[in-house]
Amino acid sequence: MKFWKSFHSILSVKRFLLLAILAGISAGIIFVIAGNKTVKYTSTDKYCASCHVHPHAEQSWKLSKHYDNDAGIIIHCVDCHLPPEGHGMLFAKAKHGATDVYGILFKDSSEFNWLAKRKLEKARKFVYVESCVKCHQNLFPKTLTVEGENAHLSFLTSKAEVSCLNCHLDVGHFDPNFKHEHNKNFGVTATQSTQLFTESTFVTNFVNFTEKIPGTNVTFEMVAIPGGQFLMGSPKNEKLRKPDEGPVHSVKLSRFFMAKIEVSWDEYLEFFKATSSQGRKEAEENKNVDAISGPTPPWGAPDQGWGKGTRPAITMTWKAANTYCQWLTKVTGKKYRLPTEAEWEYAARGGSKAPYFFEGDARQYTSAGFFKKILGADTATIQSYAVYKENSQSQAMEPASVKANPFGLKNMLGNVYEFCSDFYSPVAYQAYQKGVVNPKGPKKGQEHVIRGGSYKSDAKDLRSAARDFTKTKAWLVTDPQMPKSVWWYSDSNDVGFRVVCEVDKNIK
Amino acid sequence: MENNTDKSGINRRRFLGSTALAGIGLLGASALISGCKDVKDAKALGLPPILKGAPKGKKLRAGLIGCGNRGTGAALNFISAGPDLHIVALSDVFQDRIDATRERFSKLKMEIPAENCFSGFDGYKKLMALPDLDVVLLATPPQFRPEHFKEAVLQNKHVFMEKPVAVDPVGIRSVIASAKKAQAVGLNVVTGTQRRHQQDYIETYQQIANGAIGKLVSARAFWNQNHVWFRTREEGWDDMTYMLRNWNNFVWLCGDHILDTHVHNIDVINWFLGKQPESAIGYGGRARRLTGDQYDFFSIDFDYGGGIFSHSMCRQIDNCANGTGEFIMGTEGYTNCANTIWNLDGAVKWQFKYPKDENDNETNHLKIPAYVQEHMHLVYAIRTGEYVNQAEETALSTLTAIMARTAAYTGKKVTWEEIYKSDMDLGPKEIAFGPVDMQFEVPVPGTAHKA
Repeated sequence: MKFWKSFHSILSVKRFLLLAILAGISAGIIFVIAGNKTVKYTSTDKYCASCHVHPHAEQSWKLSKHYDNDAGIIIHCVDCHLPPEGHGMLFAKAKHGATDVYGILFKDSSEFNWLAKRKLEKARKFVYVESCVKCHQNLFPKTLTVEGENAHLSFLTSKAEVSCLNCHLDVGHFDPNFKHEHNKNFGVTATQSTQLFTESTFVTNFVNFTEKIPGTNVTFEMVAIPGGQFLMGSPKNEKLRKPDEGPVHSVKLSRFFMAKIEVSWDEYLEFFKATSSQGRKEAEENKNVDAISGPTPPWGAPDQGWGKGTRPAITMTWKAANTYCQWLTKVTGKKYRLPTEAEWEYAARGGSKAPYFFEGDARQYTSAGFFKKILGADTATIQSYAVYKENSQSQAMEPASVKANPFGLKNMLGNVYEFCSDFYSPVAYQAYQKGVVNPKGPKKGQEHVIRGGSYKSDAKDLRSAARDFTKTKAWLVTDPQMPKSVWWYSDSNDVGFRVVCEVDKNIK
Repeated sequence: MENNTDKSGINRRRFLGSTALAGIGLLGASALISGCKDVKDAKALGLPPILKGAPKGKKLRAGLIGCGNRGTGAALNFISAGPDLHIVALSDVFQDRIDATRERFSKLKMEIPAENCFSGFDGYKKLMALPDLDVVLLATPPQFRPEHFKEAVLQNKHVFMEKPVAVDPVGIRSVIASAKKAQAVGLNVVTGTQRRHQQDYIETYQQIANGAIGKLVSARAFWNQNHVWFRTREEGWDDMTYMLRNWNNFVWLCGDHILDTHVHNIDVINWFLGKQPESAIGYGGRARRLTGDQYDFFSIDFDYGGGIFSHSMCRQIDNCANGTGEFIMGTEGYTNCANTIWNLDGAVKWQFKYPKDENDNETNHLKIPAYVQEHMHLVYAIRTGEYVNQAEETALSTLTAIMARTAAYTGKKVTWEEIYKSDMDLGPKEIAFGPVDMQFEVPVPGTAHKA
């Protein structure tokens, strides 16, 4: 027994060595005897399938346009999953081969999240644009539609890196749910109009309340956040911080109400149904709050196919989130808006000066770094409070899956990033006077602050002080419309928002 | 056997590889040789051939769409470009225009059969559906060009089309996409930016591209002329009929004169500078026009980036300082783009030599008009396989003019990116005879002062 134990510990300690050796050997083998034959032999569909033990990949391939097409042409695994010769084919082959060898030896394929691997950001890592255009040499066949023309012109003229997959994600593996078109039926499913609220909740005291959205049967919880003073930003000695989180400065805030959870699809869809417009022009010209024009139909499936309900609404633009607040203000008669960055951090900290409102620091929880990858980290605490990279299975969760922070707010850290009203500036904090009151951020800017990290984030980006910002251009790369949507991001699926409500003077 | 195939496969690849290498070697050598002289020839510069006539070849049958003055002119230019070229079909919205053109050809003893003449808005489709038709000449008001060009490519026709090629960005993108579709299947396209087919311009370009005035630093372009034609409304004309008869004065049909005529000069500047501007700021107004909704003067500052600007102006008002042309300043001299290059001190450095006439007298014009030269080029391309497709370059110059027009109409700075991606789509949703439910207000830039 003892012998076996020590043997095992040797094994785990030497995992790194073993991995390195194996990867080296496999790469070596491929490089040394890279004769046509070896390459050929290891490039057949059969060979691929001998290790890739996910039969649905083969099934979905056979149902796809790359197998089942009028021309009777079959496109094989390596035609897409390796670059063509002259574009680093052998290097890519060795790289993927080594990854596969590692996976087979040390991972359990039944635990893989295949769905997540089919998302654009992952798929781009093992499908090569050079391979697409090697066969698809004519991007302007006569049958191309106007939408296709615009998209391909955009592909040719765009300075951003656009992959064919941005639009054609399902060509190699069929996905019945994949949509690359205006989702005109989005949110129009009739809600059961059994009991529609005629007015919003009347609030007299500064305590938590349940808001009712008039004209709907949707409610949401608002938490009373008392005013106070706190230290905003992270001290220089906080682990894995970034420079834009400093200097730490004292901020005084008035009391406010904040939504307990991120705005859910249930809530957002009511706004969509009430205000959605057919055309962009209409929306821009109507600046009058009495006639709020909301989003146009989204592109594809904004909920990513995870389901709606209490899951946070995502992929809306900052403008759309801001318009939601205007709409909510109009229908409830209260003053709803996006939180300022200071309000957001104050609420997220819940009185804590530590990196998180719970125990632990980023060094302890991060999965970055080689040894963490091999050995893992003790993350039980953070996992009970936050949905992030390690426990999310690459999707946003319902709020029921986590515990609340000291103020009673859920998912402040993790799940989805949240829009703030402030413009982002890396030096925003330097401009503040000591003891600033209700700061609102820089007067001008391009991008807005987003906070809290998301289901995709590493633990270090979930820290209460961690800052990030919208990336408008990158988040609209795939949108094939000219001009692009002002309501929906095509390439962001982990940002949502939460509302705050200003406290009326008459409230005690 | 399998081994054999493998082996021969490898051998063949090696063989191909070595010949390809040899080819590269030759290319490299020739590049070196020409590199010594450092002079780029016409082919390297992508310049069209200068022809005395289109070569002989297969009989080409063309259809004309848009039987106005320019359309009829283009049809006559086409048949005079070389041997065995025929106009065999006509289309126009109005039957009377078809009849006039047919009559004109009839006087030249060229009969166009009545069954090949199609009036109405869908006449072009019927014309392009004719079997045995090789070429179409597109000369309607530019509003209709994108749709016509698209159909021509679908029907596998070679195309001559007049500038401008669209009136709005939606149309421009359609033309660029159709251009690429045409290229994919080898359909030739020549456009009516005739300066690109004038030998004097072409040779001046060659001088400039080879450094005759050093680095190019600024430009100006101008098309200032008297007022142009307009039609007053006649009794019995519905809205659509009136606008089509008077198309040159409505922006949704014509694109304004900054597109209609000034696009020639803008195209020359884009050509010589080798790019499109990054943005435009400018102004314009309407002082003397009597019909329609367009301006009669524009003044635009194009920013080409890197400190290079071009001033563009155009005007259609009588009794003003008029003139048309281009001008480019370089670090070592300047040029009128048309035929002359000066040193910085004003001395003529180079001048294009025009051919002498029959009596051996000096002339100041080319023997073959550019209007004909462009058709010679089209026929040459079709008959020799030397491919030509000018649609995209003309679309980009037209879009440059649209950017300028938008800057003047709105008073705002307009960037290339904005205008390229704009959803501006002029004109009524449905094009049919009868009343047109649209406001035709003359654009006023900016906002009103508060009293």
